Amino acid sequence: MSFDTALIVESLPKMLMGIGLTFQLLVLSAVFGLILATLLMLMRISGKWWLSWPAQVYIYVFRGTPILVQIFIVYYGFPQLEVIRESVLWPVFREPFGCAVFALSLNAGAYVSEILRGGVLGVDRGMLEAGEALGLSKTQRFVYLTTPIATRLALPAYGNDIISLLKSTALASTITLMEMTGIARTIVAQTYAPYEIFISLAIVYMVLTFLIQKLVARIERHLGRYTLKEG
Amino acid sequence: MEALSGWGDDFFQGSVVVAQVFVASLILMVIFGLIGAAAKLSGNRLARTIAGAYTVVFRGTPEILVILLLYFGTALTLTAIAQLFNPEIRFIDVPPFWAGTFAIALIVGSYATETFRGAFLGVTPGSIEAAHALGMSNLQVFFYVRVPEMWRLALPAFGNHMLSLIKDTALISIIGLNETLFVAKQAIGATGQPFTMYIVVGLIYLGFSTIITLTVMGLERYGNRHLRQGT
Repeated sequence: MSFDTALIVESLPKMLMGIGLTFQLLVLSAVFGLILATLLMLMRISGKWWLSWPAQVYIYVFRGTPILVQIFIVYYGFPQLEVIRESVLWPVFREPFGCAVFALSLNAGAYVSEILRGGVLGVDRGMLEAGEALGLSKTQRFVYLTTPIATRLALPAYGNDIISLLKSTALASTITLMEMTGIARTIVAQTYAPYEIFISLAIVYMVLTFLIQKLVARIERHLGRYTLKEG
Repeated sequence: MEALSGWGDDFFQGSVVVAQVFVASLILMVIFGLIGAAAKLSGNRLARTIAGAYTVVFRGTPEILVILLLYFGTALTLTAIAQLFNPEIRFIDVPPFWAGTFAIALIVGSYATETFRGAFLGVTPGSIEAAHALGMSNLQVFFYVRVPEMWRLALPAFGNHMLSLIKDTALISIIGLNETLFVAKQAIGATGQPFTMYIVVGLIYLGFSTIITLTVMGLERYGNRHLRQGT
């Protein structure tokens, strides 16, 4: 047994061919997930039980089950249902890519909505009272006061969630998608060199994680630039 | 639903495997987390560097990659070692149970390292000084003062780690462990009803998550009972 560096040099470019697909999965699920999360968060803080209760159940179910099971229900399970096969969304669910984005978005939505809610609840009450005293309406207070402050408060946790989402995209390889992990698994099946291939791919993921962390830290500094001046 | 008849005991067997993996990986996860936290808090620079690398690597790599690497990697290494003694051995199979259990324990252990580290730092210095003043040895201080104070602080995050563990057990089906997802795959082959079967798997996991959440809530109430008596 030896560590075959030539094999790494040969297969790394092949694996990096999948980075585009990994990014597509990541960006699309992050965007759809954020939209869904905002909706769920608004439902939860609405104060109306018939809005907050379904949102809570949704979050509970999606955080309580493995993402892999959710992906399998969408990819393998949905075609069993006639409602889905005859709906306009069938072209989306027929392709593994659509299924992966759908499942990852639903999952991310549940996690991110809790992060956003934490941010909104973290906004200082005095700030909102000051807004009310200045005569801002409830909507104005939410848009001009709560939203910018909550964004800044939620950002660190949101960054961690994007990293979890990046790691979850690797699960798309289980439904035949050839993103980086899918390609790596094919190469290992052909060459039987798990150490060389999987370790070099792990390093690629770590570099991506590092870059996301740096990017989030940069946005954090930008959003918090006025708080830095005080200190 | 009638498709489910006859598969009930198979799903039960699968759930037992999930519970076994959970318990085994929970024990290992606590050990890895405590060693990691001890290394990060120690004065030894080498130990701190190794623990730092451990957390960066396992938090930045997709879970499925770690599981695949450990499973195929250990099989390859063990085969190579066995061939030194007996060249006739062609291949040694590693049980997916232990490869998977170790993999998810290592992953979640890297998160637990940070939790335990934070919790140990959260122990009031006054308590430790008081214990020393009473003539307790370092070992006694550790078991009678540090641990009882620290586990309460660690509990909320530790509950989340347990939920990650139970959900990560689903990934071990990829390397062939006969847990619930694996049972579902067989049941689908026989009945052709993927949606029903994967929903059952989802419900089983939801049940496990509920039990863990309720247990953690109970433990939190137990751990903080002395705080409520004053009010």
